[in-house]
Amino acid sequence: MIRAITLFIRWPRTNSPAKMMLDVEHMSRYVSPVNPAVFPHLSLLLLGIGVFFTAWFFVYEVTATKFTRDIFKELLVSLVAALFSGFGVLFLLLWVGIYV
Amino acid sequence: MIFSRLLVFCSFLLLVSGAADVINKDLVVANVERSLDLSSQLLKVSHKITLENSGKGVIKYFLFSVDSDKVKNLSFLGATGSDTYRTPLKLSQVNIPGHKDAKFWRIDLKDDITSGKSVTVEVECVFTHILKPHPAEILQKEKQLVLYRGSHYLYSPYLVKKQSTTITLSSKNVESYSKLKPMSQTDNVITYGPYENIAPFSVSPMDIHYENNSPFLVITRLERVIEVSHWGNIAVEETLLPASASDVYYRDQIGNISTSHMRILSDSVELDVRPRFPLFGGWKTHYVIGYNVPSYEYLFNSGDDYLLKMRLLDHAFDDMVVDELVTKVILPEGAHNFVLKTPYDVERLPDSLHYTYLDTKGRTVITIRKMNLVENHIQDFELHYQFPRILMLQEPLLVVVAFYFLFLLVIIYVRLDFSITKDEASESKMRVAGYCEKVLSHQDERAISYQNYDEQLAKLKSSKDVNAFQGAMKSINQSYKENTAAISDLVSKIKPDAAELADKISEIQKIDRNLRELYKHQQAFYTDKLGAGKNIPRQQLIDTENQFNKKKEECIEKINAIVKSMQ
Repeated sequence: MIRAITLFIRWPRTNSPAKMMLDVEHMSRYVSPVNPAVFPHLSLLLLGIGVFFTAWFFVYEVTATKFTRDIFKELLVSLVAALFSGFGVLFLLLWVGIYV
Repeated sequence: MIFSRLLVFCSFLLLVSGAADVINKDLVVANVERSLDLSSQLLKVSHKITLENSGKGVIKYFLFSVDSDKVKNLSFLGATGSDTYRTPLKLSQVNIPGHKDAKFWRIDLKDDITSGKSVTVEVECVFTHILKPHPAEILQKEKQLVLYRGSHYLYSPYLVKKQSTTITLSSKNVESYSKLKPMSQTDNVITYGPYENIAPFSVSPMDIHYENNSPFLVITRLERVIEVSHWGNIAVEETLLPASASDVYYRDQIGNISTSHMRILSDSVELDVRPRFPLFGGWKTHYVIGYNVPSYEYLFNSGDDYLLKMRLLDHAFDDMVVDELVTKVILPEGAHNFVLKTPYDVERLPDSLHYTYLDTKGRTVITIRKMNLVENHIQDFELHYQFPRILMLQEPLLVVVAFYFLFLLVIIYVRLDFSITKDEASESKMRVAGYCEKVLSHQDERAISYQNYDEQLAKLKSSKDVNAFQGAMKSINQSYKENTAAISDLVSKIKPDAAELADKISEIQKIDRNLRELYKHQQAFYTDKLGAGKNIPRQQLIDTENQFNKKKEECIEKINAIVKSMQ
């Protein structure tokens, strides 16, 4: 004969933000998306290409006359120059120890 | 509004009800072994307390109290079970009605004490600034004497059946010490007790005046700045070096201090720091130490969730005292949803912003402050935050945009013309030069289409496939026609400015027409004479081809001569 049934109801504890966060065990150690060992190579390569396009852009700007210059060519060359120089400068900063 | 008020009221209720407590009369302290370590500038007290339940109920916790005149010096309080694992016990501060001056901590036991049973726990306290130099001023060659004032008895809220105290000093030179029997002194150790059946809250003044030559070096303010970069680095600026630290610097307001030595050990980096001048009593110095550590040492992630697990305070020197610690954590721009977990109670100051390289709206700085710290406080904090990875591109793109803006300025600048007179002559010269350049580029393209024409003719000769030839010629003819038309167009434009040049180009066009005719003839020759089933003598074929080639070359040479004169 069953006299009584004990029900165990476990209420969930209040969900503080810390509880919802993951623990260290479930996380992996964070490494940079770019290996810091290649910062020098990357900055030299990217800056090299960047300087080349920058030089091309400026040479074009000073040699072209208003009858020969082509706005699309100028915009395209300067965009490529800006992209390579920009990323090159970033990696140069990281290389010299300015961790942005 | 009403809800938030209700919340405040509820939390207030909780605070009051949770903090008040009473002294359980059933609990007695069967035995206390106190050992006071006075050999450094700190007072380290470890208690081995045996608790006994003399009542009928079950006891789950006990109270530990610190005398009112010692409370302000208390830096660290910790309790562990006496088992082999030394399980840490939970502490919480409570108020006892009628004892406003002393401070009480409720220590939750690991196992309940049932009636008649006893349990042993260990409580450790560290006090700072408790040893007073006596006399306060001495000459350089004199010995440093300090005075310690305490109590022979444990300041206990319970009856203490038996207690004894062992005091370790830094030297055996003791000027004087209070003599409450039974007591003894051997070398640098003084033993008091055992004393029996001491009533709760009993105090018996104890004085020890002894020689202590250890450095009383205090860090009045330690600012520890941790700067996290998701490009794989954590930069720390303050006073100690963990393992794998690199790029260490040590400087003060004047500049770098070179009298320091760095030793790289297998599990740590040791920096031997020497101030610019020796520090006598009351002298102060100020310096900054900084270093970098790779991010994988202390930073963890899972997707966009990040966790920084680092020491809140780091080791500066043995038996150190830090009066004020301010730890600042500078997180990358765009980090949000911060959750901070600290190993002990700290004061969290309002978040601020820090501006450094390639920032727009500033980096969030989490600031933590705590007063009166010792080595026992060297523990890890955990800072959770979220950071969308795509935001890492923000920094390089900022530089890219800056460069592009510069180039755009140049593009605009070269188009500006502030001259008030128009130089017609040079203007027309420039215009002609521009047209001339275009003519030459069209001429180049036309030369290429002739080359392709030649290739197709050679193919036709060997394969005799007229259909394939005509298919390939379509695009070649198209390009030829476009270029020829463009040049004819330019001739008419050049004519008003430079008639002579226009004549030259017309000449090129005339020769080109001849050249085109020659190609057409050659093509006709191949299709008609070399068609299916037809055969002509080999010698005749070679002769005809040579004739064509000679004429073609003549035309090309003429054109090239004119082009050269135009360049």
